Amino acid sequence: GTGSDSCHGARGGLAGGVVALVNSVGLGPGLRAWAGAGGARGESWRAWGGAGRGAGPRLPGLGHGAFLWAQVGYQDFHAFDLSEATRVLEWIGDKGVFVAGYESRKKNEILHLTLPFRLSVKENQGLFPERDFKVRHGGFSDRPVFDLKHVPDTRLLVTSGLPGCYLQVWQVAEDSDVIQAVSTIAVHEKEGHLWPRVAIFSSVAPGILHGVRLSSLKVVDLESQKTMYTSGVSDSDELSSLQVLDAHTFAFCCTSGRLGLVDTRQKWAPSENLSPCPGSGGGRWCAEVGGRGRGPGPHIASLGSDGHLCLLDCRDLSHPESSVQCAVSTPSPAPELLRVTWAPGLDNCLAISGFDGTVQVYDVMSWDGMGGQAEPLFTHRGHVFLDGNGIDTAPLVTTHTWHPQKPRTLLSAASDASLHVWDWVDLRASC
Amino acid sequence: MPEIRVTPLGAGQDVGRSCILVSIGGKNVMLDCGMHMGFNDDRRFPDFSYITRNGRLTDFLDCVIISHFHLDHCGALPYFSEMVGYDGPIYMTHPTQAICPILLEDYRKIAVDKKGEANFFTSQMIKDCMKKVVAVHLHQTVQVDDELEIKAYYAGHVLGAAMFQIKVGSESVVYTGDYNMTPDRHLGAAWIDKCRPNLLITESTYATTIRDSKRCRERDFLKKVHETVERGGKVLIPVFALGRAQELCILLETFWERVNLKAPIYFSTGLTEKANHYYKLFITWTNQKIRKTFVQRNMFEFKHIKAFDRAFADNPGPMVVFATPGMLHAGQSLQIFRKWAGNEKNMVIMPGYCVQGTVGHKILSGQRKLEMEGRQVLEVKMQVEYMSFSAHADAKGIMQLVGQAEPESVLLVHGEAKKMEFLKQKIEQEFRLLPSAKKPRLLHGTLIMKDSSFQLVSSEQALKELGLAEHQLRFTCRVHLHDSRKEQETAARVYSHLKSVLKDHCVQHLPDGSVTVESILIQAAAHSEDPGTKVLLVSWTYQDEELGSYLTSLLKKGLPQAPS
Repeated sequence: GTGSDSCHGARGGLAGGVVALVNSVGLGPGLRAWAGAGGARGESWRAWGGAGRGAGPRLPGLGHGAFLWAQVGYQDFHAFDLSEATRVLEWIGDKGVFVAGYESRKKNEILHLTLPFRLSVKENQGLFPERDFKVRHGGFSDRPVFDLKHVPDTRLLVTSGLPGCYLQVWQVAEDSDVIQAVSTIAVHEKEGHLWPRVAIFSSVAPGILHGVRLSSLKVVDLESQKTMYTSGVSDSDELSSLQVLDAHTFAFCCTSGRLGLVDTRQKWAPSENLSPCPGSGGGRWCAEVGGRGRGPGPHIASLGSDGHLCLLDCRDLSHPESSVQCAVSTPSPAPELLRVTWAPGLDNCLAISGFDGTVQVYDVMSWDGMGGQAEPLFTHRGHVFLDGNGIDTAPLVTTHTWHPQKPRTLLSAASDASLHVWDWVDLRASC
Repeated sequence: MPEIRVTPLGAGQDVGRSCILVSIGGKNVMLDCGMHMGFNDDRRFPDFSYITRNGRLTDFLDCVIISHFHLDHCGALPYFSEMVGYDGPIYMTHPTQAICPILLEDYRKIAVDKKGEANFFTSQMIKDCMKKVVAVHLHQTVQVDDELEIKAYYAGHVLGAAMFQIKVGSESVVYTGDYNMTPDRHLGAAWIDKCRPNLLITESTYATTIRDSKRCRERDFLKKVHETVERGGKVLIPVFALGRAQELCILLETFWERVNLKAPIYFSTGLTEKANHYYKLFITWTNQKIRKTFVQRNMFEFKHIKAFDRAFADNPGPMVVFATPGMLHAGQSLQIFRKWAGNEKNMVIMPGYCVQGTVGHKILSGQRKLEMEGRQVLEVKMQVEYMSFSAHADAKGIMQLVGQAEPESVLLVHGEAKKMEFLKQKIEQEFRLLPSAKKPRLLHGTLIMKDSSFQLVSSEQALKELGLAEHQLRFTCRVHLHDSRKEQETAARVYSHLKSVLKDHCVQHLPDGSVTVESILIQAAAHSEDPGTKVLLVSWTYQDEELGSYLTSLLKKGLPQAPS
């Protein structure tokens, strides 16, 4: 194109660098090309004049659309606006997700949305005008919902929030479109500002794993509310995530970065890491188990609010395999929203969010050693560029999730109530 | 407790033919008279037997109201009025009145000529039906009879679409028809005042939909067009003359300009004239932006979009063509389609719903071998895409409308009752939260003491009680003009000047020589001392203060020179 300026993103993260460029006054219309600092491997995209504020006259009816169209790297991209922002994206099967509001002063909605039909079919199979989400069920929660888990093979949901330390159990009606509150699970915790993390042991008699701190970690039977397992320790480490791995094992991650794998058939004796990721100093951590690193077994990816991303082999948590510094501006403004997820359909890929309005995808195989810089395979910037409010109130991605079937499709939600479904192209030959 | 009875004769259980019977205060009103597009037999018409049981329709029904020109809201009207039999008034807005018969005739042609149907209304019936139409303006209170009055409100959605308030005494119902609460490129958003009807009947088909952003749909549209054109293919977009065609044109023009594309874009000539005509006629029905651009330049003075000539269809190379009719059932769009269908580099983008039986419907259903006249088989290799830009209210929009109108009750019109439980709860929670004591109600009245008791009465009544006449406050301003002609000629000049400048207002020249603009009176008088000067007396009531001041400053600037 004509008049293209090549700009290498600042080391502090492409997201930060690009946002600054778009915001600067005096940018005229015309072609601008940004290339990822990693050269061929980074994603590249052209922003046609008109993208973002201060970048020349906004053409009637084109605006950000031009940016989106010209963006190389997306196979598909759909943007939606929910009526309320959500911190929750929980799958039910592969065609539906739950979202829930988290505002403190009003009734929040819990919605069961079915994905646009168009997204669940292969290419070119006739015509699918259905590109909209449908609200299949809805319910009302008096308090904000910070976490929501679906109990597999049932019509039940468990939510966690504040105030009050209890878990709410919901039923998704079969013959109507309501989600009804049915019961609560007491969580005896005296702290007002902490809310219990939840994970589900799915079985004929589902068990609810929950806890605020390691000391209050327990598994209760959903129906009888009988306690099936407790940690039995007095450690007061605050929990940031819980994940059920199979019928007997679960993983926990504390905000301090302390990780552990627990077998519920034994008294509390988790295999743990000894300290958080080397090279990092404090901050808040979350983690997820999944993926296959260099070894054959599952790995844990641990993400810190200072941008550190650590990879540990589950068989030996004491020595992290590798660690990198992510290409994000740090520290995270909302460490509670940090999220790291493994791609269920791709080897060695994970996604992170919670630092800004972007979601980044990384390939862990490309890391070597400890503490080096990592460049993302792909960065989703849609929430930033479609934000109508202006840069001062740039939205923050509140959560993201991978599509269970389609390997490169993700859903992401942001604080401005936007919900995106996007499918990225891996610009390398294989992944 | 007012008794209002609502009987859906069509869209209650079935989205497709809207027809609702409302009984209020002893009056019977039919809301919409739509045709179900999916059926070929009697099921496509609403079930009128319910009301014919009561005797003659004309006696039973006080009026029929049509919300907009889409066939699922007016398609059964000629059948109803001419074949079933109804001679009473049919109310609709002016644009609806203008456009309805065109769509009805188009549809009649497909049904009878293409599908060979026998029991269908004729062209004459359409004409006779339209003779019964009484057109209404927005916000105009229309007295249907001594007790029944109706009022139309802007609904967005399509040109001329309206929501109607039906009032009998103190009972009222508001029927929304189809509406949308977000403005688009050429239409504004629906709006209603705090009329507080007993019942609000609203469309809720899209209440459970979360639509992807318009930008994404537009982006997809542009992407498809661009890709096709880049590989040398041709894009056909069959459109109806009004509405989406304009939007898509503006979109393409801007995009072509931005990306500096050279491929030609064409617009069917018939389309341009018709569209221009209707937009000019109904300019107040479009949104602010359109009105502004329309005044400055002709809507169709595009740099990149040119008038189409049928010969162009054979030109080699890429191009984009907008052609009528919209469902590919006849005419130019079908002709072009037949020429281009065999090449897989080409693309046809259907921008809306296609009636069964049309080529548009067939190809959207996936059919790739079409039988044309004379047993010719057309193989469709070109890409077929569907892109809907239609505007409907989603859950958020419905909540907004309920918030504006503040009804006592809401009736959701939808196919499945069970699927509306959540929305029902949502509305109940949102709008019944405030007990009426907390809702401020504005009263304008006078407190009088009568027979040692206080009474709050209307201002008019208070004046009557006191034997006082209401005073009208009028302002008068004098504007001096250099004009040596007679007063009558000055007044005439003032009239023609104001008439040309104030297009939005009612300017009249009265027999006594004075000029009125709305309620403002302008009279020309001679100056007592100077024969070369005339004095204009401009007087207005306190309610018209703004317009009055504006007129005064306008006149102070002087009149344009009269041609000699």
